[in-house]
Amino acid sequence: MVSAAYIVNTGIICAIGNDTQTCLQSLRDSRHGIGKAEYLKTFWADEIPVAEIKATNEQLAAMTGVNSNWPRTALLSAIAVQEALQPFAEKIKGLRTGFFSANTVGGMDLTEAVYKNIKENIEQVDINNYKSHECGAVTQLVADAFGLDGFVTTISTACSSSANSIMMAAQMIENGMLDIAIAGGADSLSRFTLNGFNTLMILDRQLCQPFDNNRRGLNLGEGAGYILLMSKRAAEQCGVSPIATVSGYANANDAYHQTASSPDGIGNKLAMGNAMKKAGLQPADIKYINLHGTGTANNDSSEGKAVEVIFEGNVPMASSTKAYTGHTLGAAAGVEAVFSVLSIQHGLVYPNLRWVSQMEDVRFKPVTELKEGIDVQHVLSNSFGFGGNCSSLVFSKCS
Amino acid sequence: MNLYLYSAGIISPAGSNKDADFPVIPTADKGRLFCKEPDYTGLIPPMQLRRMSKVVRTGIAASKISLQKAGIEKPDAISIGTAMGCLQDTEVFLTKMVEQDEQMLTPTAFIQSTHNTVSGQIALLCGCNGHNLTFVQRGHSFEHALINAELYLQDHPGESMLVGGIDELTDNSFKALSKAGIYSNDTIAGEGAGFFIASDQPNTGKNILVNDLLCFTAKNIEEALKKVEGFISCHSSTVAIDTLIAGRNGDKAMDIFYDRVSTIIAPANEISFKDKCGEYPTASAFAIGLLLSKAADDNAMKHVVMVNHFKHYYSCWLLQVI
Repeated sequence: MVSAAYIVNTGIICAIGNDTQTCLQSLRDSRHGIGKAEYLKTFWADEIPVAEIKATNEQLAAMTGVNSNWPRTALLSAIAVQEALQPFAEKIKGLRTGFFSANTVGGMDLTEAVYKNIKENIEQVDINNYKSHECGAVTQLVADAFGLDGFVTTISTACSSSANSIMMAAQMIENGMLDIAIAGGADSLSRFTLNGFNTLMILDRQLCQPFDNNRRGLNLGEGAGYILLMSKRAAEQCGVSPIATVSGYANANDAYHQTASSPDGIGNKLAMGNAMKKAGLQPADIKYINLHGTGTANNDSSEGKAVEVIFEGNVPMASSTKAYTGHTLGAAAGVEAVFSVLSIQHGLVYPNLRWVSQMEDVRFKPVTELKEGIDVQHVLSNSFGFGGNCSSLVFSKCS
Repeated sequence: MNLYLYSAGIISPAGSNKDADFPVIPTADKGRLFCKEPDYTGLIPPMQLRRMSKVVRTGIAASKISLQKAGIEKPDAISIGTAMGCLQDTEVFLTKMVEQDEQMLTPTAFIQSTHNTVSGQIALLCGCNGHNLTFVQRGHSFEHALINAELYLQDHPGESMLVGGIDELTDNSFKALSKAGIYSNDTIAGEGAGFFIASDQPNTGKNILVNDLLCFTAKNIEEALKKVEGFISCHSSTVAIDTLIAGRNGDKAMDIFYDRVSTIIAPANEISFKDKCGEYPTASAFAIGLLLSKAADDNAMKHVVMVNHFKHYYSCWLLQVI
């Protein structure tokens, strides 16, 4: 290894805040962002709550000065990338910088608005409404806006997408292929996604209750989350003291079902176990687990059982922050990477909001009140999803 | 870079390399080349085949051909590139959602529309619990799947990783992309699935060793040529290049670019491939398959450079036939 992958900054926007500090305050105040859809125009607005960012596309575009005809996912991505990158924009010139993003449906919000006409009367459709349909197109818009012309990639592995972009970025820093990387992901709400999850009957009509015995499903959210990674040399050159490192990562596949997790979380166990092994840690070293914890019957049961096996009954403090942000899909691991870094930086463990009753098939209880003044040395963050994709990341405090 | 690719599994408009007549010269249908699909017997169980869209069945079958050739039941890991993902299923779900005003929808098409459907399905069918990634970076999707393979194999030496590039063409995507100017001049739209086993060790049969792989975007041909020149000059003192694989796609403006590339390299052989597979973002996977197929009975190709583009996404490859 040439260098560890040091985390020097974060950037985030989601339903609980437009930047890192606002999100941190919301986490401290137990303030969630789930409610009625106001900006997503959907038949289900009155029935299905979502964790929406309360801003129009024009307002979002104005935050970074980009074009408001971009897909909403690109607008969110730009805001979070700007926050992570801005303090170092001048200092990183000449260094090899990579951009690793992730999303699940690219510019679908624009495509779905004109799709009928693409089929029936293509001549009437403005190509701006679908030319950024591809997932990679969204990443490229943001890369171009910030002059990121080095290695640029997009990963799409459903709900675990941005864990994998962080993993690959860390690998390329570690073996000296890059000096700097911005890694995470973004996803906006879209009718396509909302309706897709609705057909699976896993959307909660109320506020979601992850890891509760009476959980009913998940709430979809939108957002973007990125961490800025540097090699040791790049961090020194930029005169910045790193907050933490990406010390471990692992990607595994459940190979059980296209959408459901195996009952005892085969992929989950492999991901968690291998991530800790990569970090050279024992289960007892982990202070906090940021659970995937979507709030569906299936996920929380298999994740919970896998956690109990891996931690041999001695489960550390654990919570799902999706009760705050909803499930932001391709952005989720990026958003939760930012929360994990904040946990280390500020000695916090966040409550699993709205937890009331103990799950019957899982013995450990998530943290239900804010814990402060904790020496958080290592955080394990889980992200599991469709296609059996399971990824876990370990973040460690810089000594 | 030190990545060996072998045991190709190809399904393309030029047929499948499962069949002896590969590659056949395809005939375009209104500016489009569609996959000439093989008999799926022995590749996909009939009950499952019926439920699969084109990109899913061609992807799974091509991966199976690759695994069968290598004599591997279950790879250690999977890394796939697809720019467009599962368009057909996306369109089915979108159509119903729009026409039925978001009501009375069923999940099947949505489930199969996610970009990692093929990599997930392959893992499911062969019980592969290993590392599994899907890259969606437009004209660099397959290339990035290979860079990921390199990273993975550095950490897991001796393992076998299934790598592939897949994209499908649909009526609606053709209409939309044509209007966006993707298929300018005489470019024929295409599609295909190309899979390989990637390893840090060569196999006993023919291998393509990827020595170097440069991916870049360029605003114009001049900028792209500079990058290609830099790439060639890095290697020309140590390697005598005998073969150029050129991503000529019928676009006259791009012919000027490839003519210049050909002049710089001055290879004994030049191979074009998009007349056989059409233009699509992961066509470089087909090109590697074609090279392996040609190399099986032609020993003249040893040191190969491939230069490819999809729109403004370029890749330069330094390859060795072993």
